[in-house]
Amino acid sequence: MKNGRVFFAIFGLMLAGCSGTTVVLVPDASGKVGKVSVKTKAGEQMLSQAGESTTASSVDKAPTPGKVLDDTKIQKMFGVALANEPAPPLHYSINFQAGSAELLPDSKPLLMTVFAAIQARKSCDVSAIGHSDRVGDDRSNKGLSLKRAESVANVLKAIGLGDDCLDVRYYGESDPVIPTADGVAEPRNRRVEIEVR
Amino acid sequence: MKELLPLLFKNPRIAIFFAFISLAHLSAFADENYIGMVKTYQPVADIFHSGVKTPVDVGVKLYPGDTIITQAEAAVGIIFMDGSVLSLGPETRFEIVDFLFKPAERNVSFVSKVSQGTATFTSGAIGRISPESVKFITPTTTLGLHGTKILIEVK
Repeated sequence: MKNGRVFFAIFGLMLAGCSGTTVVLVPDASGKVGKVSVKTKAGEQMLSQAGESTTASSVDKAPTPGKVLDDTKIQKMFGVALANEPAPPLHYSINFQAGSAELLPDSKPLLMTVFAAIQARKSCDVSAIGHSDRVGDDRSNKGLSLKRAESVANVLKAIGLGDDCLDVRYYGESDPVIPTADGVAEPRNRRVEIEVR
Repeated sequence: MKELLPLLFKNPRIAIFFAFISLAHLSAFADENYIGMVKTYQPVADIFHSGVKTPVDVGVKLYPGDTIITQAEAAVGIIFMDGSVLSLGPETRFEIVDFLFKPAERNVSFVSKVSQGTATFTSGAIGRISPESVKFITPTTTLGLHGTKILIEVK
């Protein structure tokens, strides 16, 4: 009976010894390194360097101090997940004239290129996301950005993209490439972004 | 349609028929509200959607609340509606706790849970619009991701 208890105590310790969460911060596909905070009830560790890692073995213990892992170790831990990562989504931008949702003549060849990329990727998972600059009020800019997204969607569908493969969304003036004050005309913000997933 | 209206009132069966059609439209609409799609798959793995187990395959759509469980040597790669990219390694249990993506209203949230195994994650538009909205829960930690790519191992 007593032996049994000792056995379970040791078994429990072994489990605790190999349990826990390890987090590693790595550069994304474009080389950018962000930040991640790892929190338990007992403390927090912020990771901000490429390859930096921390382990939290229990919710009542603070995460270990940041330690940079080499690629061999990262491959050993995450090799299968890393080898099966989907290719990052593709992004294209179609520009518009002030206050207009009409496609510019040079946008059509660009949309042909986009369609070719969709086919090459065999994707049925595409978004057309409309945006405006900050001329005019927020409400009318939402409408304008939706109309722009619909113009792009209509051409992609006319070229041959299936209706069920395309999602149309709009941000109005709330997600600019170049942030500006209200009322400012900014050609780079008058756009439809196409995301091919 | 105008001529049909009096009929609807006179004949409850027709009214019920129309109610069914509009319900069918509602569910078709729900299907378009998927939040992610499987892009890569190395067997064997399952998705649990509303408690129902369905096999994983490339092109399968995901919804909030879904859980994915991978077996030994398996992997599942997903791209979410906000462009974020997830890859799950072998013997992993992953749950989409909350996914809300209404960027025009700035109403966004992406909370997921890794209970076991390995995952790689690259954040997308939700992380760009609202970095504090991307969170991971593991048995011992809460992760707040401020861009862009992390690897998670839960033993």
